[in-house]
Amino acid sequence: MTIDWLAFLQVFAAALVAGVAVVGFYALGLRLLARSGRIPVVAPAVFTDAIAVMTPKQIAKAQKQADKAARRSPLTEGQKQLALVGAYACFGVVVLAVIAGILLIVLG
Amino acid sequence: MEIATLIIILVVALALFFDFTNGFHDTANAMATPIATGALRPKTAVALAAILNLVGAFLSTEVAKTISGGIIREDQISGDLFPPLIFAGLIGAITWNMLTWLLGLPSSSSHALFGGLIGATLVGFGLSGIDFGVVVSKVVLPALLAPLTAGIIAFILTRLAYSITRRYDGKPDGRDGFRWGQIFTSSLVALAHGTNDAQKTMGVITLALISVGWQSAEHHEPQLWVIVSAAAAIALGTYVGGWRIIRTMGKGLTEVKPAQGFSAETSTAATILASSHLGFALSTTQVASGSVIGSGLGRRGSSVRWKTAGRIFVGWVLTLPAAALVGALTALLVVWFGLAGVAIDAVLAILIILVLFLRSRKDSVHAGNAMHDVAQSDLAVSTTTTPPPTRRQRREAARDAARRAELEEVRRAAQLAAQQAVREELARAADKAAKAAADKAAKAAAEKAAKVAAEKAAKVAAKKASGKRSKK
Repeated sequence: MTIDWLAFLQVFAAALVAGVAVVGFYALGLRLLARSGRIPVVAPAVFTDAIAVMTPKQIAKAQKQADKAARRSPLTEGQKQLALVGAYACFGVVVLAVIAGILLIVLG
Repeated sequence: MEIATLIIILVVALALFFDFTNGFHDTANAMATPIATGALRPKTAVALAAILNLVGAFLSTEVAKTISGGIIREDQISGDLFPPLIFAGLIGAITWNMLTWLLGLPSSSSHALFGGLIGATLVGFGLSGIDFGVVVSKVVLPALLAPLTAGIIAFILTRLAYSITRRYDGKPDGRDGFRWGQIFTSSLVALAHGTNDAQKTMGVITLALISVGWQSAEHHEPQLWVIVSAAAAIALGTYVGGWRIIRTMGKGLTEVKPAQGFSAETSTAATILASSHLGFALSTTQVASGSVIGSGLGRRGSSVRWKTAGRIFVGWVLTLPAAALVGALTALLVVWFGLAGVAIDAVLAILIILVLFLRSRKDSVHAGNAMHDVAQSDLAVSTTTTPPPTRRQRREAARDAARRAELEEVRRAAQLAAQQAVREELARAADKAAKAAADKAAKAAAEKAAKVAAEKAAKVAAKKASGKRSKK
C-alpha cells in the first residue's frame, strides 16, 4: 500500500494559498472601501425565522454612523480615490482567483 | 427483458435516488452559513445551490474515475453477480443515510456509499474484491485529513479576515460587506459539491455498466447520459431538501458572523476543489463541518464544546462501518437467495424510500431530525459576546490608560494649585478686610475723639465767654 502524502500536502497548500488569496484580498478590499469613505452597510435579508435580524432603525443608525465616519475621514479627496481604486483592484484579484480555481478544475 | 438489464436499470434508478438524497441531505453544506448570516434568502440560496450543483457535476470526472477505477477490483469479479451486489451496497448506503437522518445522527453520504459498496463486495467476493490500499489512501485518510485541513485553513482565514478589517478608532469596520462575498463563496461551495458528490453516483453507475460489459473497463470516464442524469438528480435533491434548512439553522448556526461564514465557505470550496482536482473522494459534509468549527475557533474568546464535537466525530467514524454492515446484510440476501434476494432488497428499498417520503411530508421538525452536521459543528464551538482584546488593543488600552493617568495627574496638580491660590486669595482678602475694619474702627474712634474734644473745647470756650460777659 502506497500513500501519496505529497498529494495531501499539495491539497493543503493549494487550498491554503487559494483561501488566503481570496479572503485576504477581499478583506483588504473592504478595508480600503471603508478608507475611501464608502463603508458598506449590508443589512441581512429579511425572511421568516431569520437568525440575523436588523430593524430599520438599526440599519438607519448603522448608515448614519458610516456617513459620519466618512465625513470625518482625515484623507484628502485624492487619497480617497486611490483607496477606492485599490479596493476595486482587490475585489478584481478575488474574482480572478475564483475563475482560476474553476478553470483548474475544468481543464483538469 | 433480460434479468441483467433489469438489475442494471434498478442499480441506475437506486444510484440516482441515492444522488437525490445526497443533494437533499447536503443542501446545507453550501447554504447553511449564508442563510444564517442573512446574506441570502432561503429560496434564493436553495435555487442557486441547485443550479450550481447541476453545473458543477459537468466540470470534472476525476472523483468518478476514483470510485469506478480503484476501490473495488471489478476486473477480478464475475459480471453476473456484480450488479446485484452494487444494488445491495446502494441499499446499505441509502438505509444508513435515512436512518441517521431520522435519528438526527451526524453522517456523511459519501462514506455511507463507500461503506455500503465495501460491505456488499466483502460478502459477495471476500477480501480479494476490495483494494484496501486504495480504500485507505483515497477514502479513509482523506476522510480523516479533509476536515482537519479545512478546519485549520478556516481558522487561519477567519483570523486573517478579522485582523485586516479590525479598526482601533471605534469607527464602523465595514464587515457587513462580507455578506456580499458570501453569495459568491457559497455559490462556489455548491459548485464544488456538484463537482465532488454527483461524480460518486456517476462512478457507481459506471462501475455497474463496466461490470456487465456495457462500457469498456479501460475507459472509466462516465458516459454523457450518466453525467446528465446524475447532475439532474443531485440538483433536484438539493432544491427539494431546501425547506429543512431554515429550521436546522435556527438550532445551530446562531453565532456565525459574515466574516466567519465567508472564511468557512472559502475554506470548504478551496479544500473540495483542490481534492477533487487530485481525485480524492471527500465528504463535503465533513469538510463543511470542519470549516465551521475552524472558523468558530478563529474568533477571539471561543472554545470547543468537546461533548458536541465528540458526538460529531463518533458519527463520522461510525458511518463507514455501519453502512458496510447494512450493505453486507443486504448482500447476504442476494448471496443466499439469488434473484429472490434482489427482489427482497428491491422491496426493502421501496419501503425505505416510502418511509423517507412520509417522514419528509411531516412538518414537525424537532432536535432529533432537523439537526445537520454543519449546524452541530457551530454548536461545538462556544463563543463569547465580549471577546478578549487583541495584543494591539491591549497596547492601545495601556497607552490610553497611561495617557488618562497622566491627564489625571495634571488635573489633580492644577486643582491643588487652584485650591491653594483660592486659599491664599481668601486669606489675603480676609487680611485686607480685617485691616480695613481696623482702619475704619480707628478712624471712627479718632473721629469720635475729635468730636468729643471739639465739643469739650466748644464747651470750654462757651464757658469762658459767659464768664467774661458776667464780669462786664
